[in-house]
Amino acid sequence: MSPEERPTFSRAQIVYGQIVYWITILACLICTVGPVISMASVENNVANPHYLFASIFAGDDAQTVWNKVGGGFPGGHFWAKNFTKGDGFTQFGLALGCSVALWGLIVAAFLYMREKVYLYVVLSLWVATLVFLSASGMVSGGH
Amino acid sequence: MSKFLRSPWLEVNVMVFVLILSFAGLALIGWGAETPPGGMSGAAIFGWLFGFFFLSFAIALVAVIGGIGGGVLFTPFMLAFTSVDSLIIRATGLIVAMFSGLISTGPFTKRGLANLRICIFCAAAYGVGAFGGAIGAIYVAKHLGATGEGVVRLALGLILLSLAVYFIVGGKKIEWPEVKHVDNFTKKLKLSQPYYEESLKKVIDYPLTRAKWVLFAIVGVGLLSGFFGLGAGWAIVPAQNMIMAVPLKVAAANSGVLLGMGDCIAVWPYLLMGAIIPLFAAPWLVGQVLGGLLGALILIRVKAGFVRFLLIGFMFFACFGLLTKGLGMLGVIGNVPMWLNGAVFLAILIWCTRAILKHRKSES
Repeated sequence: MSPEERPTFSRAQIVYGQIVYWITILACLICTVGPVISMASVENNVANPHYLFASIFAGDDAQTVWNKVGGGFPGGHFWAKNFTKGDGFTQFGLALGCSVALWGLIVAAFLYMREKVYLYVVLSLWVATLVFLSASGMVSGGH
Repeated sequence: MSKFLRSPWLEVNVMVFVLILSFAGLALIGWGAETPPGGMSGAAIFGWLFGFFFLSFAIALVAVIGGIGGGVLFTPFMLAFTSVDSLIIRATGLIVAMFSGLISTGPFTKRGLANLRICIFCAAAYGVGAFGGAIGAIYVAKHLGATGEGVVRLALGLILLSLAVYFIVGGKKIEWPEVKHVDNFTKKLKLSQPYYEESLKKVIDYPLTRAKWVLFAIVGVGLLSGFFGLGAGWAIVPAQNMIMAVPLKVAAANSGVLLGMGDCIAVWPYLLMGAIIPLFAAPWLVGQVLGGLLGALILIRVKAGFVRFLLIGFMFFACFGLLTKGLGMLGVIGNVPMWLNGAVFLAILIWCTRAILKHRKSES
C-alpha cells in the first residue's frame, strides 16, 4: 500500500503529539542544565544543594527538608521569582514539562473546532481545565 | 543529509551532547567544591545525580524492551531500599511514569497508533481519579505519620505482588477483539480511527463498545496511580482492551499518551506542596526522556523476552523489601537480617534463571 493510500489522522492529533514531544525535550534540556547552575554557585539557590541532599537522605519529609534547608517551602511556583537561581530554573523545567498537556490540549481544542468535532472541543477543554485548576492550586483539597 | 542530523536523531544528539557537557561540568565543580559542615560533599552530590540519571535511563531502556512501565519499577525499589520519605518518592515516581508517557506521545500520535480521541475521553476520567489519589496521598502523609508510611509500603507491596503474579500469568488480553454490538453511547463518541498496521500491511479499522464502563474503571486506575505514584499502563491497557475492545497495540500506545496527559493533573498537588524537589527529580526526568527515546529508536526491535522475567524477579524482590519494611515500621517485626535478604534474593535469582532458560527453550 502506498503512503498516499494510508489513512490520514486528524490534525489535532498530530499537532498535540508534536507540541508534547518538543516541549518535553525542552523541559529535559532545562532539567539537564539546571543542576549545573545549582552546583556552580551553591549560594544562588533557594535551597543549598549540600544540605538539601543530606536532609533528603536523612529521611526527612518534604516539609522538614524545605524548613531545614530553604527556610520554609517558597511555594509551588517559586521558579517565577527565582528564575535565575539553579533550583528555580530547574523547577521551571519541571513545571513546563508537567503542564505540557495543557498547551497541547488548548491547541487540539482549537483544531477540533475547525474540524467541527465539537464533542472533542469540549472534552479537550475539560481536561485542559483540570490541568489548569490543578497547576494553579485553585483546587487542592484543602492542602 | 545523514540520518543523525534529522529528527529524531538530531534532538537525541543535542540532548546527549548537553548531558555529557553538564555531567563533566558537575564532576569538575563537585570535586572542587568546599563541603560545608553538616552538608553533603560536592563529589557525593555528583555521584547521586549521575546515579539517579543512570538508573532512570536504565529503567527507561528495560521498560521499552520488557513492556513494563518505569513507574512500577522506580517507586517500589526506592520505597523498599532507601530511607527517602515515601511522599517524595511517590511524587518523583509520578514524574518517572508521566515523562516516559510524554516522550512516546509524539511518535505514537504521528503514526496513528495512538488514538487521541480515546486518550482525551479516558483522561477526562483518569485525571479526576489521579488528582483524588494525589490529594489522598498528601492527606495520609500529613495525618497518619509513621503508621501511614508503614501502611503505604505494605499496601504497595501487596499490589506489587499481585502485579508480578499477573505479569507471569499474562492476563487475558486479545490482540484483535471482536465487537458484536456497538452501543449508542459509544457510537455517538465516534472514537474509532483506522490506522495502517505495518506487521499486517493493511489498514485496520476497529469498532469499539462499552465506552461508559471504561470511564468507571479508569477513575479507579487513576486513584491508584495518583496515590502510589505508579504508572498505570498495566491496568489501562487491559481496561481498554477487555472492556472497550481496543486492539492491544493501540491500547498500549494510548496508555503512554494517556499517562502523560492524565498525570499532568495528578502531579501538581505534589509540586505545590513541595514533595517534588527540583534537584532530586530532575535527573530522573532526564533519564526517562533520553532512555525512552533511545530505547524506542534502537531497542524496540530487539527480541529479548527474557528481560521480562528479570523485571518480574526484580518486582518480587522489591515486594519482599516493601512488605518487611512496612511490617517493621508498624512494629510487627524487627529488622530483617542480612542473610534472609540474601536468601530471598538467591531464591528469586534461581527462579529467574529457570524461567529464562525455559523461555529460551520454548523460543528455539
